[in-house]
Amino acid sequence: MSRAAAPLQWLTMGLLTVGLLGLSPALSLSLLAFGLAVLTALKLREARSLEERRVVALLQLVGAGLLAALRPELGPSLLQGLAILMALAGLLALELGAGPDWKALMRRSLQVLVAALPIALVLFLLLPRLMPFSSLGSGHGMGAMTGLSDSMDPGSIARLAVSREAAARVAFPLGGGPPPLEQRYWRVLVHERFDGRSWRSTAPPFPRPAAGQPPAPAPTPAAPGEGIQLWLVEPSGLSAVPWSGAGRPLSPDLTPQRSGELLNRAPGSQRRVYALTRTADPGDWRTEPPGPIDLVLPRGENPRLEALAAGWGRLGSDRERLNAAGSWFRSQPFRYTLEPGALPRQAPLDHFLFETRLGFCGHYASAFTTLMRAAGVPARVVSGYRGGQWVQPVGGTGYVDLRQADAHAWSEVWLQGEGWQRVDPTAWADGDPLATAETSGETATGTAPWDWLQRQWWGLDIAWARWWLGYDSEQQQALVQRLLGDQRHLLGLVVLLAVAISLAASLGGLGWLGRRRSGDTLRLELEHTLRAFARHGMAPDAGETLPVFAQRLTQRWPALGDPLNAYVGNYQRQRFASTPSRAGRRETRRLGRALRRSLRTGNLPKEAVQRGVPLNRRP
Amino acid sequence: MDFGRPQQGERVRLRMRNLYILPTRFGWLWLAGTVLLQVIGVQMQSNGTLLLSFLMLSLFLLTLHLTHFNLQGVELGCGAPAPGFAGAPVAYPIQVRCPGRSEGVRLRLAGEAAGAPFSLSPGEHALTVTWTPPGRGWHKPGLLRVQTTAPLGLFCCWSRWYPEAAQLIYPARRAGPVRLLAGASAPMAGEPAVASRQDGSDDWRDLAPHRPQDSPSRLAWKLLAQGRGEYAKRFLDQPDTAPLLAPDPGVPLEVALEHLSERIWSYHGQGLSYGLVLSGQSIEPGRGMVHRDQCLAALACCR
Repeated sequence: MSRAAAPLQWLTMGLLTVGLLGLSPALSLSLLAFGLAVLTALKLREARSLEERRVVALLQLVGAGLLAALRPELGPSLLQGLAILMALAGLLALELGAGPDWKALMRRSLQVLVAALPIALVLFLLLPRLMPFSSLGSGHGMGAMTGLSDSMDPGSIARLAVSREAAARVAFPLGGGPPPLEQRYWRVLVHERFDGRSWRSTAPPFPRPAAGQPPAPAPTPAAPGEGIQLWLVEPSGLSAVPWSGAGRPLSPDLTPQRSGELLNRAPGSQRRVYALTRTADPGDWRTEPPGPIDLVLPRGENPRLEALAAGWGRLGSDRERLNAAGSWFRSQPFRYTLEPGALPRQAPLDHFLFETRLGFCGHYASAFTTLMRAAGVPARVVSGYRGGQWVQPVGGTGYVDLRQADAHAWSEVWLQGEGWQRVDPTAWADGDPLATAETSGETATGTAPWDWLQRQWWGLDIAWARWWLGYDSEQQQALVQRLLGDQRHLLGLVVLLAVAISLAASLGGLGWLGRRRSGDTLRLELEHTLRAFARHGMAPDAGETLPVFAQRLTQRWPALGDPLNAYVGNYQRQRFASTPSRAGRRETRRLGRALRRSLRTGNLPKEAVQRGVPLNRRP
Repeated sequence: MDFGRPQQGERVRLRMRNLYILPTRFGWLWLAGTVLLQVIGVQMQSNGTLLLSFLMLSLFLLTLHLTHFNLQGVELGCGAPAPGFAGAPVAYPIQVRCPGRSEGVRLRLAGEAAGAPFSLSPGEHALTVTWTPPGRGWHKPGLLRVQTTAPLGLFCCWSRWYPEAAQLIYPARRAGPVRLLAGASAPMAGEPAVASRQDGSDDWRDLAPHRPQDSPSRLAWKLLAQGRGEYAKRFLDQPDTAPLLAPDPGVPLEVALEHLSERIWSYHGQGLSYGLVLSGQSIEPGRGMVHRDQCLAALACCR
């Protein structure tokens, strides 16, 4: 057992602990991971014998695997990879005797890991994926984290508006830039239920498939022209995830609702990754007719508002009512602010519309939607994100970076014959942040080097999500299809063959690495040169010194006299030098190469000529 | 895991036919961990976990070969074993010739604890294994097991061999009564005392003209420096009244031999002369390693 074994194993434990730090304790599997880590640490503390220490290494590997399932992001994955490397080095330290130090162990561990990687990749890429056995294990998070809220009461969103935390990223990997800034509305929740104060979403918090229901068929992959939006959403506690409102889901976890929400079955306490096509679906939520709930309004709460809307209600069409409301909003001195102050409990919207006229998106959306409902136009509040910054990382796919500060609320109204239309009443207010952003350009925020670094990292993260996290059952099927075409029944044979070939290559590579560094370089170089001569039938006799052998060689190939003398002289100088120098070794190698070259070029033509003599004498 | 047909002979070359390899208990545990990770990976649809699980499987496949390569082609041979005493651990030499690098090699003789693993570079190595011989006489150390679990401990590769060379084992050293046959080399009646004097190395006696075959250490340098020619000093060994040792008739023969063994060892340590009389053979008094080993060998082979 090497002395390095214990420090290596403790260091691995430390890495795993760091990996555990970011886990949400709500998931049942993360509790398992915590428990496993504690047990492993205790085992490592009491372990004395070789057997027990081996078990510790195995437990560490299993722990790293568990972490990989819980934290698949790029950063944690790198940490897990390092932990795996160290765990293997610890295991090697247990077996290889007292000799190697930790540096040699890490090198060896890396060699073994790299040698094992081809086989693992073959299996990973080619073996058909199994579907999850049932829905157990994927526990759902409890408690919403910061971000959008299920229930929107103007005043609850103020806190979000100042947070620069990352909310989501959307990339367009198959090319194409982002939509224009005024078109960047990413919807998350649709609030249809209104009780006079707050707007609530009708979406189930955590959709579960019914027990007996067969799983939804896997969506067909994107057609070439469709384009892809790849989303990475930070933990939000919501099952609804942002999207542009158009596009067909490419991940089986996603189900678009009739209201225009996109629900994701994966637990909201984790980061989620999903893909959609960019193109619109014809029969989507925009043409779903409104229900009675879209007109529900507690009468008598805001009398001035109702009186104003009643005037518009007498207009002929929904479109005219909408236009009337728009021109009214624009004619009033509304101002956008993040600190509007609390609204009174009595007639809060009247107070906002006719007294303060100060508010943020929630106020505007809420007041406008109420006005529309009072005027008889089906309307609802939608919350999500607006804008976002377009980031083009160095050598990567560009993406739109959405922060919690980009959280926004707007309205949707149903216009007969046109379907649901987005109306953003905040845009009518003075000092709307989006309008300011448009005029001042996009690079106004985040020019600090730290921000730049973070953006580059997120670019890598997107690539990771696309190439690594996105490799799923369908991708695997597509790969096999591309490789084998119609010969799918040969897959087993191909996998076996590929494993055998990678195994042979790995063993060969490891053997080569093992041989490469054995012995001193001077001797290895000499043997290399002697082998070259041995191929021509000249080998030193037993007890023959190098100079004598060189003389014998010179007798056979007089042309080699000079390089031989130089080589032998240098070899002996280096061999008996008091301190072997790097320059001397390089010189030896150089002379050896020169000697072998002159052996090849100076010797072969001569023999060819000798053999060629009878040919020349032909008539 | 200790089965398989043992090899016989002076030398044995380990190859496919006489090397055995099986997963260790840890290896089976490793496979179980692989399956567990596979289940987690499938259940969570996690690529990282799946890849780690496949990585562990491929390490399993890889170490199967790496462990086997540690012993593949290794040649084992007997050295010339030096005699040892019964009842104490005795070193038995083993010659090992490795074609490549061999890691984590352990040698163990039957009934002994395994030694620490060691790594062997390509080439010849002289190793020793210790064993505790059962009694005096010529003994073979029994079944030698060479095994390795390196590099990851997932597989145990082993082979078994009966080394052919026998080792001479002296009786154990145990203090006790010994029969001393008095003054065997004391001058006997009628024999001139001088007769027992013999040339030796102890006391300076005389000078003689230097002969070329004389050791330079005997050259009388002082005389040479004084210019009085080359002389060699002549020395004389003092005749001892060396005892003849014999087994004590009062104790069983085996025990008596052990007492004799101890006595010879301690006389040798003190630089005393002694002889030995055993049933059927006797050894003249003398001193030195060769004499001691001769006496001990006589004890070992005494019937």
